[in-house]
Amino acid sequence: MSADPHLLTGAYAADALTGIERLAFERHLDACLPCAAEARQLRAAAARLGAAVATPPPAALWGRVRAEVATTDQVPPVAGPVGRRFPSLLAAAAALLAAAAALLVVAFSVTALGLGLVGGPRRSERVADPVAAVLAAPDARRVAARAGGVGQAEVVVSRQRGRAAFVASGLAPAPAARTYQLWVVDRSGPRPAGLVEVPKGGRVTRLLEGRVAGSEQVALTVERRGGAARPTSEPVVVIDLRA
Amino acid sequence: MFGLVGRVVRNPAQAEEVTQEVFVELWRTASRFDPARGAARSWIMTCAHRRAVDRVRSAERAARRDDLAGRRDQGRPYDQVAEQVEATLEREQVRRSLDALTDLQREAVVLAYYGGYTHREISELLGVPSGTVKTRLRNGLLRLRDHLEVYR
Repeated sequence: MSADPHLLTGAYAADALTGIERLAFERHLDACLPCAAEARQLRAAAARLGAAVATPPPAALWGRVRAEVATTDQVPPVAGPVGRRFPSLLAAAAALLAAAAALLVVAFSVTALGLGLVGGPRRSERVADPVAAVLAAPDARRVAARAGGVGQAEVVVSRQRGRAAFVASGLAPAPAARTYQLWVVDRSGPRPAGLVEVPKGGRVTRLLEGRVAGSEQVALTVERRGGAARPTSEPVVVIDLRA
Repeated sequence: MFGLVGRVVRNPAQAEEVTQEVFVELWRTASRFDPARGAARSWIMTCAHRRAVDRVRSAERAARRDDLAGRRDQGRPYDQVAEQVEATLEREQVRRSLDALTDLQREAVVLAYYGGYTHREISELLGVPSGTVKTRLRNGLLRLRDHLEVYR
């Protein structure tokens, strides 16, 4: 490629480069931050062109996707019955396929697939499954925490399912002999909603235990290992689902 | 995503195949998705578009040469796109942003993105140097970005 590579961001974003040119330009992107940023923005702009012509896929296609995904072994080993696991995974996936329909849900389905479902064998199947169900629920609503000391945190709540999931990134590990604990706070006070283990990388997707109607507050506190029956410290995150 | 794939590969059966491939690919690589690097929609559309483009370029190269020649007589490709871009809010916004491009920019962007053509094919089609095509693509998408205000 003799031409100035900095001018190729547009052709790259529109996929107008040939395979070899694309590879060469991607190598350039690794080394050139301004080009990488511009390419990312132009790809986002191009994606809007794609979304503008979105149409729902035929129902039969969905059946084939479902069948193929069911035999795709990228998912961690399943302890429980396979048949019970896939429907809710596919619920998250359905949102992906209908990309134009519910972008918010898509964003979180992808996150769910990334963080919770393909995250590794350590994650409990019982937790991963309903998380996907909440994230992919048609009425899924996300409520972000106001800026605080702990990276980004939000709660995705589905009133329809009566469940909510806590999603965070950049969460620092809890101090030694301590653990994060989630609380759902309603008029009758706080009730424990589960302990949060922070994996390396600080990204957490955790289903809140118990039913959540969507009108409560969700709080995260630091407690002694094993958790507490009532919060004993000031919350590090408070997310008001009424907001 | 299906609509986009269908537009690029222009064969309903192949569009379904490619959509299925893309979906399974998204499924496999979901753990690599990093929200910090852009919105999920971009990621999905990028995967879908690339896969669709690769499909038409590998399978139908010869046929597409004829198609490319035929297109000159079919009027501006933009008109065909505009026709199908319905008046939902999102679509309307994208359509208006496309209107904000110069005719030459729009032609290049539409041929590349919706048509799946390489910059060389476009330069052949329009009879301009491929460097000019690259510049039009970049300036066109930059303007689109500014109109749609996507800075992630």
